[in-house]
Amino acid sequence: MQRTNGLIFGYNDYAKEIARNIDKKYKRVTLFALKGEEHAAEESKYPLCFFDLSDEWEELQKEYDMAQTVAFCALEDDAQNIFLTISLRATFKELTIVALAKSKESGNKLMMAGADKVIPLVQTTADMIVDLLERPVASNILHGILYEKSNLKIVQIEVQDENYFHGQYPADIDWSRNHGIIVLSVIHQGKAGEFIYSSKAKHHVITRGDIFVVVGYDEDLKAFEKLIGSRMA
Amino acid sequence: MGFAKRLFVDFFYFLQSCKSYRQARRFVYNFLENERSKAKKYFDLFMMFLILVSVVTLIREVKHPVDESFLFFNYYVISIIFFIEYLLRLWVVSSVSDVIVSRYENDVATGQEFRFFMACREVAALKLRHIFSLKAIIDLVAILPFFHQLRLLRIFTLFRVFKLFRYAKTFQTFASVFRAKRFEFITLFIFSSIVIVISSVLIYVMEANNPASPVNTLFEAFYWSIVTIATVGYGDIVPITEGGRIVAVFVIVAGIAVLAFTTSLVVSAFNEKLDEVRETKILNNLTSKKRYYILCGYENIAKEVAKKLSKSEHGVLILDEDAHRIEEARKEGFEALNYDPGSIESYHKLRLDLHAQVKAVLCLRESDVENVYTALTVRAISKDIFILSLLNQHANRKKLEFAGANEILYDKEIVGMVSREFIGQPVAFEAIHALRSEYSYINIEEVVLTQRILERFATVGELHATRFRVVLLGIYKKEHERFYFNPIDSTFLEEGDCLLLIANTVFIEEFVKYLNKR
Repeated sequence: MQRTNGLIFGYNDYAKEIARNIDKKYKRVTLFALKGEEHAAEESKYPLCFFDLSDEWEELQKEYDMAQTVAFCALEDDAQNIFLTISLRATFKELTIVALAKSKESGNKLMMAGADKVIPLVQTTADMIVDLLERPVASNILHGILYEKSNLKIVQIEVQDENYFHGQYPADIDWSRNHGIIVLSVIHQGKAGEFIYSSKAKHHVITRGDIFVVVGYDEDLKAFEKLIGSRMA
Repeated sequence: MGFAKRLFVDFFYFLQSCKSYRQARRFVYNFLENERSKAKKYFDLFMMFLILVSVVTLIREVKHPVDESFLFFNYYVISIIFFIEYLLRLWVVSSVSDVIVSRYENDVATGQEFRFFMACREVAALKLRHIFSLKAIIDLVAILPFFHQLRLLRIFTLFRVFKLFRYAKTFQTFASVFRAKRFEFITLFIFSSIVIVISSVLIYVMEANNPASPVNTLFEAFYWSIVTIATVGYGDIVPITEGGRIVAVFVIVAGIAVLAFTTSLVVSAFNEKLDEVRETKILNNLTSKKRYYILCGYENIAKEVAKKLSKSEHGVLILDEDAHRIEEARKEGFEALNYDPGSIESYHKLRLDLHAQVKAVLCLRESDVENVYTALTVRAISKDIFILSLLNQHANRKKLEFAGANEILYDKEIVGMVSREFIGQPVAFEAIHALRSEYSYINIEEVVLTQRILERFATVGELHATRFRVVLLGIYKKEHERFYFNPIDSTFLEEGDCLLLIANTVFIEEFVKYLNKR
């Protein structure tokens, strides 16, 4: 799912933070400010375009490969954000759309409008606060792992060489002792992810194309990756 | 100073410094007067039960014979209990030793001879003030049925009901409502009295000389006026003259006005008092719970946080200076007070021990100015309390740090990081998100190792987590402040270590039960 272009719609603090976080992962990051926000041109550190909600979006296709592009809809007004999402989805079927929602209600509408992922602003922050208070250790560790602030990493590894496992079940392997890693979940081709010890995972033989969600130190992960396949990131 | 005076002062100094005396006094005070004490609640319930027994006995005694032992209990035992209570209240209501010692030190400081009589007068004044208070008089009257041989005094049993005012808070609230509208009620009383007096005299003048009229005396006229103005109208006395009926019309109209005015007065008084009653109830409830999260502000993020934290074992208390937001929080079922979180006085009013009873203060306003102000206020009260604050503008981070916030959350930064990870590793992101989500059946839990667990398990290998289908992600060693990922079997376990477990919630529960089994 590696993409090369990031298009961020809206010129506000959320958009700036998204740009700052993704600019190392994308070859090209472009901000789109609404017409009327001309002051953005002087401030922006990223290439900036202006748009109107009534714009026709086909033009974008000339500049960006939509299959390799992610659009972040980060307009402050929920109604405008929904309108933008629906406009982009109507024009580009293959574009990945991530949209920000202020409330649960607008989150549902954004999903209906065709967003691939909705980030509920209030809920995400509230979850983080509650985690910090109620499970401080777990929260810090997971935060460190997910946002690469510790040596521990979480990666997805796809099985390329199924012979290595000789028809074993995921729960039968002592991953931590044999490989120094912890497998959290396994995704069998075309199915939803299952926790490593779930009944479904226990009755499914490891096959080529399965994806493991693995936590470990970089060296162990690389060694494991060599054994079974390629890392996806 | 004479020997007797010296002895007198020394005795009170001794009392003041005597630990067991002070403890005994504190114990009695908690039972009788301390609203926050649990013992008082039980004591009040016990006294209410005694009152109930007394009244039931009085009613039963009217037409049925009552067992002698029961009567003995009613007239002697209960009266003696009430008398002991009366004396104990007289003792704890004010401290004699404090007054004497303070007077003595005052006199010494001003270079005067210790004024013994002045000190005694101060003590007497304090005690007499209590003795002549309405509550104390009721207490005394309630003891009188002890002398039940005097038939009249037996009736005083009924006065024990008035003692309920002392024990039931609802009655106190009711009384305070009337106190608050005292002026209006007095005005109404004067108006009604004037109408009653005038109408009584008028009806007497109009009717008394008519032989067919039932109004023959001034008392009958007075009785008729009260019955009419109260809109009761028994009909036993009715005016028959034309003049008397005209008077009756005026009294009836005045009666309707008085009734309407009284009703509106009581309703408005209760409405005005309602917030205060709720506030008192919340403040009283606060003491019973163990630890609290104090949420300062009740806006979007705070609402969501309150909802999630309400499922935790700790209590949630919301403070906001905006009355509408507080009303909203109360409708959602939260304990919320219309206090300014940026004011030190608000925290004093809470009567909470911030160190022991507050787990964290959360500054969740959508304004950095307010959050900085609140953080600074809380930090001024306590240096140790954990403060978490929301940051709305990145430029204000340092100000919040300076104000003393331990943890600062910038929601825009969180969204940026979430966006990056979702796009980079969607499956891993969803896996971690699922672990954090309360709606997922797979969960990550922290289990702190206690001495009890360590009695049976010394190393990681002995835990056998995989047997319970539980993944041991690692151990957080509190002492070293370090996380050991995927620890080897020989890793020693220590008290206070925190195990991070990932599994189905049911499996984790089973595993924790197994760890705690003796």
